[in-house]
Amino acid sequence: MTDTKPNEYLRFNLTFRMQHVIMLVTFLLLAFTGWSLKYPEPAIEHAGWWIRLWGGPKTAGIIHRIAGVTMLIDFVWHVAYLAYMLLTGKMKFDTRTTIVPLPQDVIDLIHNFLYFFGLSKTKPQFGRFSYIHKFDYWAVFWGMGIIGLSGLALAFPTKAQYFFPGWSVNWIWELLSVLHSDEALLAIVFILFWHFYNEHLKWDKFPMSMTWITGKIPMETFKHEHPLEYELELKENPDLSMNRRSS
Amino acid sequence: MKKRLLIFILLLISVFLPSPPVSAETFTCLACHTAMKAKIRTDKGILIEVNIDEERFSKSVHGMIGCTACHKTFINNPHESPKGDVGKGIAGLVSLIAPKAAVDPVAYSACTDCHSDIYKAVSESVHGRNIMEKKQKDGAFCLDCHGSPHYIMPAKSGESMVNHWKIVTTCGECHDKQEIAKKYNLGTHIIERYQESFHGKKYALGHPDAPTCVDCHGAHGIKKWDDPASPVSWEKRVQTCGRCHPGATKKFVTAITHKPTGKDNPIPYYGEKILIVLTLGVFLFVVGHVIIEAFSEIRDHVFRKKKEDSHD
Repeated sequence: MTDTKPNEYLRFNLTFRMQHVIMLVTFLLLAFTGWSLKYPEPAIEHAGWWIRLWGGPKTAGIIHRIAGVTMLIDFVWHVAYLAYMLLTGKMKFDTRTTIVPLPQDVIDLIHNFLYFFGLSKTKPQFGRFSYIHKFDYWAVFWGMGIIGLSGLALAFPTKAQYFFPGWSVNWIWELLSVLHSDEALLAIVFILFWHFYNEHLKWDKFPMSMTWITGKIPMETFKHEHPLEYELELKENPDLSMNRRSS
Repeated sequence: MKKRLLIFILLLISVFLPSPPVSAETFTCLACHTAMKAKIRTDKGILIEVNIDEERFSKSVHGMIGCTACHKTFINNPHESPKGDVGKGIAGLVSLIAPKAAVDPVAYSACTDCHSDIYKAVSESVHGRNIMEKKQKDGAFCLDCHGSPHYIMPAKSGESMVNHWKIVTTCGECHDKQEIAKKYNLGTHIIERYQESFHGKKYALGHPDAPTCVDCHGAHGIKKWDDPASPVSWEKRVQTCGRCHPGATKKFVTAITHKPTGKDNPIPYYGEKILIVLTLGVFLFVVGHVIIEAFSEIRDHVFRKKKEDSHD
């Protein structure tokens, strides 16, 4: 029936969910196929069997390039989609729902640490995105800029050469390899700790929240984890509180 | 009838029996030289191996060649024979490669009998000229790269020292030695630098198209990089790199130098240092935040459980 009151809140629409799934799949493929090249010394035994698992160095290289280009396209799609949503007014800027880092995030971080150490009795009140989410999100932009661009240059060196000035040739390729592999390691470590802990291992999230598939979060969780956004939604749509009562 | 059948069967068996792959003369040599357990000391005091592994020899590319094709004569002949004519070419070469072949220069020079074109290339190469013109012991000659002449395998065989997967180690026998690099004013740590490079990493992973030393520098006729005849000279480098990187330009091909990192190339060197600090900084923040939060979660859910329940 149409008047059934949902006890869930739609946090991410289908477009965002698809962008996230493409990001997740290509990230894992890139990390797995690129890992052997970072530590190829024959002294490290795992390099041999690991690369064979991905079809050998040649196939792994092809997978890596395809996944890399797909990820970059996904990224461009995301940015273009956001620009479209903001320009058409379908998405509005609000300090309680924005992903843009604000001074409040620094205050929240300090507040959170005070809570961790027992120096504050309350947890910080988050909007749609906490500073933890924002850090997770902008790390992708950093990765796209550094790893994505250096990866493109390394994959197509004879095309990329035209973008580099003559005086840079003695160090640019070396720098690009270092940037690509060191920042990739940082990205892997970041995902393993930051994203996996905050989205999978946390007490009330384990093993994971289903939001990445359904896009929805239970109204109770919404109110608890995103109180500022909840209040905002409540102002625009007073029905929300009734849903809570009915659930 | 029975006798005829027996002969037929014996003949049939003989077809499948391995026939001795060597000539009668070689067979005579091998009668002793496959059973010599000790090494022999020459007049000059060099200990040499005189035993032949017949199985490996017969499988090698030279397995069908008789001993005296190369061992035409011995300088201090321990045998009655051979006393063959060494020919003008080899007699000339014997004196030229004296610094290299202390034991048996005649046999050492005999490769040129069949491989005259390769000999020509080697004699014009930096390796050959170092031996023949500069009278040095260093510099690769046939056996330094190909191994014992008795057991040479085709280059495509994994057992060959010049095989794609072995050649870097083989070149490294000399070029990984820093005293050789210093003596001849060559780049130091070039094998290490190659292994750190993108090419070297792909090679270590087993990429069949990854270039090795010889793919860029050439093999028998190898020249110093600043010699215009070298494939890595400024004159030829665009063409050489272009074999794998179509569209390579002069700007592109200056990238590879095998130069050591550090003060010579400060941007990638200090760039990496900055990246390490950045990576460790983010790592410390991320791991610290996660661990501290995890402890506070445990505290909230395990030790403050009752308190929370009472709130509800």
